[in-house]
Amino acid sequence: MDFALFHNLSIGFGVALSLQNLMYCFIGVLLGTLIGVLPGIGPVATIAMLLPVTFNLSPISALIMLAGIYYGAQYGGSTTAILVNLPGESSSVITCLDGYQMARQGRAGPALAIAAMASFFAGTVATVVIALFAPPLAEVALKFGPAEYFSLMVLGLVGATVLAHGSLVKAIAMTILGLLLGLIGTDVNSGIARFSFGLSELSDGIGFVIVAMGVFGFAEIVSNLEQGASRDVFVNKVTGLMPTWKDLKSSSGAILRGTALGSMLGILPGGGALLSSFAAYTLEKKIGDTSMFGKGEIRGVAAPESANNAGAQTSFIPLLTLGIPSNPVMALMIGAMMIQGIAPGPQVMTERPELFWGMIASMWIGNLMLVILNLPLIGMWVKLLTVPYRLLYPSILLFCCVGVYSLSNQPFDVMLTALFGLIGYVFVKLECEPAPLILGFILGPLMEENLRRAMLLSRGDASVFFTKPISGVLLGIAILLLLITLAPAVRKTREVAFQE
Amino acid sequence: MRRLIGLMLPLFLALGLTLACAGASAQNYPSRPIRLVVPYPPGGPLDIMARAIGQKLTEAWSQPVVVDNRAGAGGNIGADLVAKSPADGYTLLMGAVATHAINPTLYGKLPYDPVKDFTPVALVAQVPNILVVNPSVPAKSVKELIEFARARPGHLNFGSGSTGSTGHLAGELFKTMAGVQMVHIPYKGGAPAMADLLAGQVQLMFDNLANALPNVRAGRLRALAVTTLARSPAMPDLPTIAESGLPGFDLTTWFGLMVPAGTPPEIVLKLNQEIVRALNAKDMRERLDKMGTEPPANNTPEHFAAFIRTEAAKYAKVVKDSGAKVE
Repeated sequence: MDFALFHNLSIGFGVALSLQNLMYCFIGVLLGTLIGVLPGIGPVATIAMLLPVTFNLSPISALIMLAGIYYGAQYGGSTTAILVNLPGESSSVITCLDGYQMARQGRAGPALAIAAMASFFAGTVATVVIALFAPPLAEVALKFGPAEYFSLMVLGLVGATVLAHGSLVKAIAMTILGLLLGLIGTDVNSGIARFSFGLSELSDGIGFVIVAMGVFGFAEIVSNLEQGASRDVFVNKVTGLMPTWKDLKSSSGAILRGTALGSMLGILPGGGALLSSFAAYTLEKKIGDTSMFGKGEIRGVAAPESANNAGAQTSFIPLLTLGIPSNPVMALMIGAMMIQGIAPGPQVMTERPELFWGMIASMWIGNLMLVILNLPLIGMWVKLLTVPYRLLYPSILLFCCVGVYSLSNQPFDVMLTALFGLIGYVFVKLECEPAPLILGFILGPLMEENLRRAMLLSRGDASVFFTKPISGVLLGIAILLLLITLAPAVRKTREVAFQE
Repeated sequence: MRRLIGLMLPLFLALGLTLACAGASAQNYPSRPIRLVVPYPPGGPLDIMARAIGQKLTEAWSQPVVVDNRAGAGGNIGADLVAKSPADGYTLLMGAVATHAINPTLYGKLPYDPVKDFTPVALVAQVPNILVVNPSVPAKSVKELIEFARARPGHLNFGSGSTGSTGHLAGELFKTMAGVQMVHIPYKGGAPAMADLLAGQVQLMFDNLANALPNVRAGRLRALAVTTLARSPAMPDLPTIAESGLPGFDLTTWFGLMVPAGTPPEIVLKLNQEIVRALNAKDMRERLDKMGTEPPANNTPEHFAAFIRTEAAKYAKVVKDSGAKVE
C-alpha cells in the first residue's frame, strides 16, 4: 500500500513538475488570486470564460489551470474581507468578522499573513488526505442522505446564534430574517415561484454575492462615510507586517482544528465547503479565551481560513472518485473534462492515473506558489489602505458594481445590492449583526429542501430524523448545543427573579 | 435632354447602390461579432456544445461568436431575451426541448411565443436519456422492473434534475404507459440526483446518457434501456423502452440554434449550412458520439421547424397527463 502510494505520487509529480504544467499552474493560481480579490466576479464566471481556451490544451494542463483558479480564489477572497470588509468569496464572509477588526486596529499585515499561512497548511494537509483517503471518503459522503443533511444544517443554524457576540435575541432575529430571505425563489418540489413579486429576475432567488456585498461591503462604506475621518487608525497604528510569535502560537490550535473540520465537511456535496468556515469559527468560539472574538481575535481569522481552504481541496473528492460535482465550480470542471473527452467517474483513477495523481500533485504545488505569491504582496495591500478614503471608496464601489453586474449581466442585480446596502446600514444603526443573517440565508433553503425530500422519501414519517444513526447523532449535538447556549440566559433570568 | 440625364443619373446611382447594399447585407454577414445566448448556466452539455459550435463558426467566419449565459426560469429568461432581439442574425439562441416544447405547457404563461417569435435554424443534437437503476433493485430488464413496481405500488422513488425536465417527464410517461405508481423526487440539478441514486435513496432515474455512462461502466448502476425510439450508437446492446414492452415510448433531450422571427432567409440558410458543416467535422462527431448520439440527418431549417412542432404537441400531452405545473 505504501509502495503503491509512493509510485502514484511519483507519477503525479512527474506530470505536475513538467515546465508546461508548472506554467499553467502558475497562471491558474495568479488568475485565481486576482479574481478572488475582485468582489463579485468569482471562479465560476472565470472558468466559464476560459473553457474555450481549454479546448486546445492537454487534459491535465487544462484541469491544473482551472483547479488553480478555484483554490487561488479562496486565498484572494480573504484579502478584501480583511482590508475592506468585503467578502470576495462566499467562504470569506466569516473572515470579515475578526479580520476587518484586526485591520481597524492596524494589524492588517498579521491578519493577511496568518490567513495565507493557515490556508497553505490546510491546503497541504487536505491534499494528503485526498491522496490517501479519496475513495473511502467518497463512500462516507454517500452515506449522507437528505435526513443527515437536514440535521447537519440544524446543527449549523443553532451554531449561528453563537456567531454573534451581542444580544442573543437579535442574533435569532437576524437568523430568521436570513431564512425568510432565502425562501425567495422557485420551490424545488412544486415549481411555484415564492416571494418573487412577479419579477422573473427574482424567480431563482437572490444571489448570495448580492446580499453579502450589500450587507457587509456597502453598509460598511456608508457607515464609514458617516463617521468622517476616523480611518487614520488603520494607518497610524500599523505595528508590523508579520504576526508575532504570540500570534503564531495561539493560532496553531485553531489552524489544526479548522483544517480537520474543513477537510471533513468539504467532501459533502452541496454546501459542505461553505459550512466549514462557519463551523470552524463556531468551534473556536467555544474554546479557550473568547473575550476578543469580534474585536480582532487572530484565531477568528486562522480557523475559518484554514477550514475554507481545506474544504475547497477536499470538495474535489466526489468529482474525482464518483464524477459528482459538489458545487458549481466542480460542475464546470466536469464540463472541461467532457470537452477533452474524459468521462468523469469512478474509473478515472484507474484508467487515467496520471490525470488523478497529476492533479493532486499540482494542488500541492499550487498552494506553495500561492503562499509565495501572497506573503510579499501583504506590504502592498497594507500600503493600499493609506490611500485617502475619499479616493478609495468610489473605486471599491465601482469594482463591486462591476463584479455584481458580471454575475448575470443584469442591472437589476446592482440595484438590489444597493438596496441591501441600505438595509445593512440600518442593521449597523440597530446594532444587529449581519453574520447570522448570512448563515440563515444560506442554510434556510438547503434545510427546507432536505427536510421535504427526507419526508417525501420516508412517506411522511418524521421519526426518520432520529432513527437514522448519523442524523440522530447530529440532532442530539444540536439540542445539546442549544441547551448550553440557552442555560446561562435562563439562569440569569432566574437570578433576577430571585433578587426581586 | 442634358437636364434629364443629370436628373436621372443620381437617381439610378442611388438605386443601384441601395440594391447593392441590400444584397451585401446577407453577403457581408457576419460583419461584426455574434452573440450566442445559452439559457442555462455554464458547464452543462448544452453549454459545452454551444461553445464548441461557437468556436467553429468563429474559425469559419473570422468573426467572434460570444456565448452569453442567461440562466433562469427554466430557460425562459434567455429565450425571451432573444425573442425580443433584432432579427438581423447577430443574436442566436441555443433553444432546447425545455424552452420550446415543454415550457409552453408547463408554465401557465410564457413571456415569448415559441412558434411565432423564432425561426429555427438547425438542430444540434438529440441526446437519449437512459433508464438506470440502483443495483439494490432486483430488476434486470424493463419488463422485470414493471413487474417489481406493480407488486409494490408507491414504493419506488425516481429522481430527476428538476420538475418539468425530460428526466421527470420520462418517468411520468413511463408511469402512465406501464400503469405503475412511483414517487417523483425532484432535485436541483442532475448531480445531486445522481448522488442520491448512487447512495440508494432513490432507486431509479432517467438521466442523460453522458452523465450516467461512467457509473454504469463502473458497475455502480445498472442500465436497463434508452428512452429513444432507436438504439443509441454508444450502447448498441441496450434495448429501447419502446421495444421492451411500451411501444411508442420516445423521449429525447434536444437542442438547436434559433434566431428571432423575421431574420432574412439568406442569413438563416448561411447559418444552417455552416452549422451542419461544423457538426460533421471529425472532432464534433467524436464529441456527439461521447454524448451517445450523432449529427442529425436531413438538417434543414424547415425540417427542424417541423420537428419542434411535433415535439411541442407530444410534450403538451405528456405534461398535461403528468399534472406537473410551474408558476
